[in-house]
Amino acid sequence: MNDIRKNWTWFILIMALILGVGIYLGQSRRTELGKSFDYSLDEYRQVDPSLIHYTEVEPLVPTLGKISALAVAPDGKIYVGGEDAVQVFPDGGTFPVDGIPTCMAVDDDGTMFVGMQDHVEIRSKNWEKTVWPSPGGKAYLTSIVVDDEYVYVADAGNRRVWRYDKAGGKPLEIGRKDSANGVRGFNIPSPFFDVDLGPDGSLWAVNPGYHALENYRPDGMPISSWEKSSFMIEGFSGCCNPSHFALMPDGSFVTAEKGLPRVKIHNVDGSLRCVVAAPDQFDEGVVGLDVAVDDEGRIYVLDPNRNQVRIFEEKE
Amino acid sequence: MKPKGKRKRRDFVRGAAAVLVGGVAVSSLRSCSPKLVWQIDPEKCTQCGRCATHCVLAPSAVKCFHSYSICGYCDLCGGYLRPDAKKRNTGAENQLCPTAAITRTFIENPYYQYKIDEDLCIGCGICVEGCDVFGNGSMYLQVKHDLCVNCNECAIAHACPSDAFKRVPASEPYLLKSDREKRIS
Repeated sequence: MNDIRKNWTWFILIMALILGVGIYLGQSRRTELGKSFDYSLDEYRQVDPSLIHYTEVEPLVPTLGKISALAVAPDGKIYVGGEDAVQVFPDGGTFPVDGIPTCMAVDDDGTMFVGMQDHVEIRSKNWEKTVWPSPGGKAYLTSIVVDDEYVYVADAGNRRVWRYDKAGGKPLEIGRKDSANGVRGFNIPSPFFDVDLGPDGSLWAVNPGYHALENYRPDGMPISSWEKSSFMIEGFSGCCNPSHFALMPDGSFVTAEKGLPRVKIHNVDGSLRCVVAAPDQFDEGVVGLDVAVDDEGRIYVLDPNRNQVRIFEEKE
Repeated sequence: MKPKGKRKRRDFVRGAAAVLVGGVAVSSLRSCSPKLVWQIDPEKCTQCGRCATHCVLAPSAVKCFHSYSICGYCDLCGGYLRPDAKKRNTGAENQLCPTAAITRTFIENPYYQYKIDEDLCIGCGICVEGCDVFGNGSMYLQVKHDLCVNCNECAIAHACPSDAFKRVPASEPYLLKSDREKRIS
């Protein structure tokens, strides 16, 4: 009987030993990762307060969800596109659309051009709808601007700007690589590709893969460009910035970035003029900060995280 | 009449064999149910670094995966270059990965391909963080099942602060990012 007990005792002890070694190995830890494994952007989030020349005022709070498109009309009204509708401020009502607009522009006569991901819908003042055919391919429309003659549509999927007549029809292609004429082509790693019109009526387009803003004639020939790559406040960082921009009445650029969310103003030559909003004024990780400017120089920033259009005015 | 000592030893051998056979039978029954393995949900992962330090294997069975169809092939890759990189090249001082597990290859101006060297990757996720912040999120962490020993209680899952570790069927062991959702170009 003693032998049986002894054998069982040994058996249990050996099993416990095996189990203990297993648990020890399972729970053993290597040392924590060292400093070289830290990823921190804190240094770049800090902005010298003297550079911030704008102050935030009461925002517009749309009743729509998932706001995604912003436009300032020639009459000063603010159009905000979101889930299945477009809302007009101040007190302009809400108009239904089928889906979530990705971009918008408003003509002098109140005609609205709404980008619906892969095609453009035109809404007359009476809200009658006309649909233009999709440019095709991998069309992903991210920005629209309209002047007296043309409608320019930025297509991130096809890496082109399409120039339509007001009546639609076959568009002219802007941005195809053409080394002979100095067109290097648009490098758009992610779906952020913005366009706007300069005070002289020429087209400005962001080339986010190069951290560049490029100026084109209406026929697609390049005029000028500037670019600035830097994590510092003077430049643009990451693989695709600025994600959005708008032109001020004096021709300077209001730019918004993702990754390090910040809104700045660059002079015509690309040098930094001032900061509108620093990274700490936005939620971490926010993307899609569309910007627009009115005739009085007020800056509107669509903040998808807060579902607001935030307004910034120059400090006195 | 058999000696008493022999009988006792035989009884013990019979008893121990019964325990082992019982264990084998139970494990056989368990193997009949669908086999589950550990995997990381990329949408929940916060790149805390614990995959590199808490796996029972060294280096960890967690590796960086790269979805080429999501990648923008950027010259300025947030997953490859340090935020304070002086130049966009393969200089060690410019690389974000502390173990140099990512290789950068020129494709055509201005595009570069980034490949993960699994032997060097320790699953720290620092490249994933850089790619998430500035890029398209084409880099993400997954448990490599040719390396993972599939512990019953995964040490990383136990330490994961974001509950990103989950059991998935062994027949579909990877939670790959959907190309359709992110791909636009």
